[in-house]
Amino acid sequence: MLTTALILVPLAGALVVWLLPWSRFAAGSIALLVSLVEVGLWVTALAGFDFGESGLQDGARASWFSDLEVSYHVGLYGFSLWLVGLTVVAMAAAIGYGLWAGRERARTYFGLMLFLTGAVVGVFTAQDLLLFYAFFEGMLIPLYALIGVWGGRRRQAATIKFVIYTVAGSLLMLVSIIVFGLSQGTFDLVDSGTSDSPWLFLGFAAAFAIKAPLFPLHGWLPDAYRESPPEVAAVLSGVVSKAAVYGLLRIAIAKFPEPADDFRFTILVLAAVGLVYGSFLAFRAPDIRGVIAYSSLAQMGLITLGLFAGNSSGLNGAVLMSVVHGLVSTTLFLLAGGIERRASTGELASLGGMGRGRPLLATMLMTVGVIALAVPGSAAFAGEFLILAGVFDQGWLWAVIGAAAIVLAAMYVLRLISAVLHERDGSAVPREALDLRPAELGLLVPLVACLLALSAWPAAVTDRAFSDGDVRTLQAVQRGDGNGSAFLASVVRECREPRQRYAISGSGSGASHITFVVCREGDDAWTGYAPIDEEEKP
Amino acid sequence: MSIAAWICLLAPLGGALAITLLGELVPRRIAGLVATGSVAVAFAAAVVLFVTVLGRDGEERQELTTAWNWLSVGDLDVGLSLLVDPLSIMMALIVAGVGSLIVAYSIGYMAADDEERRFFAYMALFVFSMLLLVLAGNFLILLAGWGLVGLSSYLLIGFHHERPSAIAAAKKAFIMNAVGDATMALAFFLLVYETGTLDFVTAFERVDGLSSTVVNLVALGLLGGAVAKSAQIPLHTWLPDAMEGPTPVSALIHAATMVTAGVYLIVRAHPLFEAAPSVQDLAAGLGAVTIVVAGLIALVQTDIKRVIAYSTMSQIGYMFLAAGIGAYANGMFHLMTHAFFKALLFLAAGVVIHALVGEQDMRKMGGLRRLMPRTWIAMLIGGLALVGLPPLSGFFSKDSILASALATGDTYGYVLFAAGLFGALLTGIYTFRMLFIVFTGEPSGFVREHLHTEHGEGPRWMTAPVAVLAALAVVGGAVQIAGIWHPLADFLDSIVAADRESLALVEPTVTQDWVTSILAVGAGLLGIGVAWLIYGARRVAAPRMVALRNPLERKLYFDELYQTVFYYPAVGIARGWTRFVEGPLIGGSISGVAGATRGLGRGVGQAQTGFLRTYALAIAAGLAVLAMVFVSVR
Amino acid sequence: MNGPDVTWYLAVAGVLFATGALGVLLRRSPLIVLLSLEIMLNGANLALIAFARQQGDLDGQIFALAVMAVAASEVVVGLGLIVAMARRRLVLDVDELTTLRG
Repeated sequence: MLTTALILVPLAGALVVWLLPWSRFAAGSIALLVSLVEVGLWVTALAGFDFGESGLQDGARASWFSDLEVSYHVGLYGFSLWLVGLTVVAMAAAIGYGLWAGRERARTYFGLMLFLTGAVVGVFTAQDLLLFYAFFEGMLIPLYALIGVWGGRRRQAATIKFVIYTVAGSLLMLVSIIVFGLSQGTFDLVDSGTSDSPWLFLGFAAAFAIKAPLFPLHGWLPDAYRESPPEVAAVLSGVVSKAAVYGLLRIAIAKFPEPADDFRFTILVLAAVGLVYGSFLAFRAPDIRGVIAYSSLAQMGLITLGLFAGNSSGLNGAVLMSVVHGLVSTTLFLLAGGIERRASTGELASLGGMGRGRPLLATMLMTVGVIALAVPGSAAFAGEFLILAGVFDQGWLWAVIGAAAIVLAAMYVLRLISAVLHERDGSAVPREALDLRPAELGLLVPLVACLLALSAWPAAVTDRAFSDGDVRTLQAVQRGDGNGSAFLASVVRECREPRQRYAISGSGSGASHITFVVCREGDDAWTGYAPIDEEEKP
Repeated sequence: MSIAAWICLLAPLGGALAITLLGELVPRRIAGLVATGSVAVAFAAAVVLFVTVLGRDGEERQELTTAWNWLSVGDLDVGLSLLVDPLSIMMALIVAGVGSLIVAYSIGYMAADDEERRFFAYMALFVFSMLLLVLAGNFLILLAGWGLVGLSSYLLIGFHHERPSAIAAAKKAFIMNAVGDATMALAFFLLVYETGTLDFVTAFERVDGLSSTVVNLVALGLLGGAVAKSAQIPLHTWLPDAMEGPTPVSALIHAATMVTAGVYLIVRAHPLFEAAPSVQDLAAGLGAVTIVVAGLIALVQTDIKRVIAYSTMSQIGYMFLAAGIGAYANGMFHLMTHAFFKALLFLAAGVVIHALVGEQDMRKMGGLRRLMPRTWIAMLIGGLALVGLPPLSGFFSKDSILASALATGDTYGYVLFAAGLFGALLTGIYTFRMLFIVFTGEPSGFVREHLHTEHGEGPRWMTAPVAVLAALAVVGGAVQIAGIWHPLADFLDSIVAADRESLALVEPTVTQDWVTSILAVGAGLLGIGVAWLIYGARRVAAPRMVALRNPLERKLYFDELYQTVFYYPAVGIARGWTRFVEGPLIGGSISGVAGATRGLGRGVGQAQTGFLRTYALAIAAGLAVLAMVFVSVR
Repeated sequence: MNGPDVTWYLAVAGVLFATGALGVLLRRSPLIVLLSLEIMLNGANLALIAFARQQGDLDGQIFALAVMAVAASEVVVGLGLIVAMARRRLVLDVDELTTLRG
């Protein structure tokens, strides 16, 4: 029920804002109010969430096409709860920014923002593949309009490029969805089993690799980030890219364990290349948005490294890093928006000296900047540490590359900070440019406060992203545990409720390819596969 | 005890937060008082811890307190924990004690600055970070403190951010420290992979089970971080540039505390280093090299703060040397006395700089002895302590290290001993070169014009801490007199007791102690004499030695080397990739797709001829084909 | 049953259809094409009625009536187009009218 509310409240709010004749300020206020209500709903979900229990929570299910086994099935896991939290907080900040900055055609604008909120929450909570696809595409429509109408000078080209790239990936994903759903007999993520088809895996991976983005499919990134309005860029970079993370985790890795293992090396290479490449390009990018955009590319590469590390350390690090990077990115883009408003440009060569006489701006930018570069002690560092410690399992070279990226991150962030705040006044900076206004502070301070709180207590997310059962199953998948049967027995003992998990794949019991376990009622638990030994059954 | 530990850690953080949040609401002077007060509270808490620990013995002297689980994944559990034991208490006392004196000094020094509040917030943040580092209960929290210390250093070096040179220096310091952070992180990954824990106590227990390659790599990674943080060769180039920061910053961060963090790390992780003897020897060797090289470069410096900076580098070399041969207590002893007299030197130099409205070039100074007599005395005390003349503190600490080197008995130890002696000679020369240039002779024109001493040599806030530090520099050596009484070594014994057999570190014999002291003092006096001849009495001209001078003045070309090897290639790679990879990737990919689509459309469009009869023919032909298909299928 | 066999009617229908088809494909004047189209339709009509007679079922005849109605409407539209073209003094030659080429 709560999950459905989380999806429907912003959608309903979007309708209300669109249809009724509000003034510009009223439309924005209502949108902001709805987004804050959404945050409240999420906090309620957080409070009621049992982190010790594995499996879906706050679920809701209603049949849609029964002959294809397509249903409206939504629910929350630990990690999706945190991603939804990131979404609602970031969107609230973005809507607040839109309200403060003032946008033309306000009703349409705020309606689209609310619609986007609902769509993204839907992506993170959908447990049926077609529903997931619908929400995934549903994210695209408002983004297309938001960038194309309210964007910068070259917005048309940027948004068309963005849409074409994304849709190309989505179509591949659609093919994979259809084939997978038909072969499994159901489109439900909780009920369906796994598959070892590399083509289906690639179909999904392509879509998510474009969305994240993963090098070299990032061609849409710089233009889209540069031409969007600041708050839309914040959402794009902070929230929408995490849809790819979620998809990789929930669908690509969980449903295709063997292909994920086969392609692991390639994906790790691409992720590492993206990490280094993005860092170098951020080091020399000529404008604020360019630095943030390429740093985003680098961070998504890092998160992907964590996802494909193959152990719980990497997965937890990836989830933590997703949340942290989402908040950091949102804050940075909103700050960039403020700076661009004051100086009418984002070109670093024309900026400088903005720290003088503007202590609030300097403090904010500095705080977010040092968290962005993952200074030890920050939440970003905790995430990076977990990811690299996890990927160390796959080979020491990955960790070395990651460590080098730490130094590179320091270089580009410090360059950004100095170019904006320090040294002489830039040619574009008017002397009367104001410090951060109370409205801007009202947007930025909660985001930074969340970041600081996470820095003091990263275990809040990492301890609560995956319950033991979830992680253990995912772990066994990725290692192709030789200890198949013993592991099987231990997981089977964990099954408290039927229909809780994922299905078996691979050959018989005791073999090295035991992957997941399905717990079903009744004796005929292992339909279609060889049953395990009697003494190991629960 | 744990409450005191948390108060010690959090008081400065509270001070920093208070100053930041209250902002312009409080007068500037209050900000300084808040900062000083918070650090003083930390010192008081440290004293409480010290007294408590004194009353206990052995195992009871160590207490681990955890606030909450900071990070836990699978089997790895990292808590936000503090370890209170003699070593950390000693460091906390030094950090908070010297720190409070220096923050108090800053109230006077920074009084004219517009952004005073920011300065005090940063200083309090720094003290918090340093305390986090020394009180940390596991490697990850230590690394957190490590990084935050680097951050505070960046903020403070770049405090005058309108100056490009200050900003460049701040960035350089941070990035070199980040390299150290990266090597430490790699060491931790390996440690987690092999032992599954980052707790000090547990990790050290499991060291025995590790292969020698692993231990060597871990120790090497830790050494990399230590070398970067303590500005030892080869990661030392950031320290002289860091003098761009205000003088109290140089005193606190770059003399007394931050740069000693590397030594602390080696002592804290000594079980690891002892299991990797080659790395420990490397540490001692790097220390020895730094002693000599830094001392040589200090001979040709013209900026008063840079002389002291290179001197710091050199003295930390002594501490690394001590840690490298297993003489941990002696190394920590020198750390403590060095904090006293080096901070004293910096703060006294600050008084001079302050009185000369910011001038730091020694060549413009001269004859200040009569004009600023108290400052002269303070710097003289600091200089004598630095050179290591009895009965000042530096004598006891430095000589204990040299005696330990001699006592190791092997060739390597003798080489280290020789380097240390040569370093003592150099110390005498460069220290008193500085003192003679600045204080003796006739007041220069610049001095006569700019010196303002109507209100005494400096504000009370500045002169009082200097006096306290001078007193400490004189008597600080009393805690450990070689061979006679060693309460400090006893205090630290429970944690730093090296495995004496494996290191073959024996206590120096009385003969060795005397020989060392005589040689060291002699070297120091010789150095002073040389300096007197050239710069004091001006009887001998400074030797030209161009061939030697130029490389030294260019700091042995390390800066140029790093620029060429790291910075320019980084810029080049970034530019190259932007042009040759990103350009085609962004522009090319989409234009390619668009072009292909258009071409395909054009190709298919050729079927639309516009001729009616073509379409009719197509219909007829299609019909015929269908008919044939139906007929044949039937 | 009186009269010739159904086959003969179908043959005539076929001839009519072929004639119409050839006319559509080979003639250049739109008017003649339209006329030929009508002949094809009539051929189909004849075949329908013949089969209806053979099956003894009236469905074919009703179908034929429907076809006639559709044919009449379509001729109206076609002739209207041709008249419009003539009024604009366009050349009434299907090979020349190619504005809709792709």
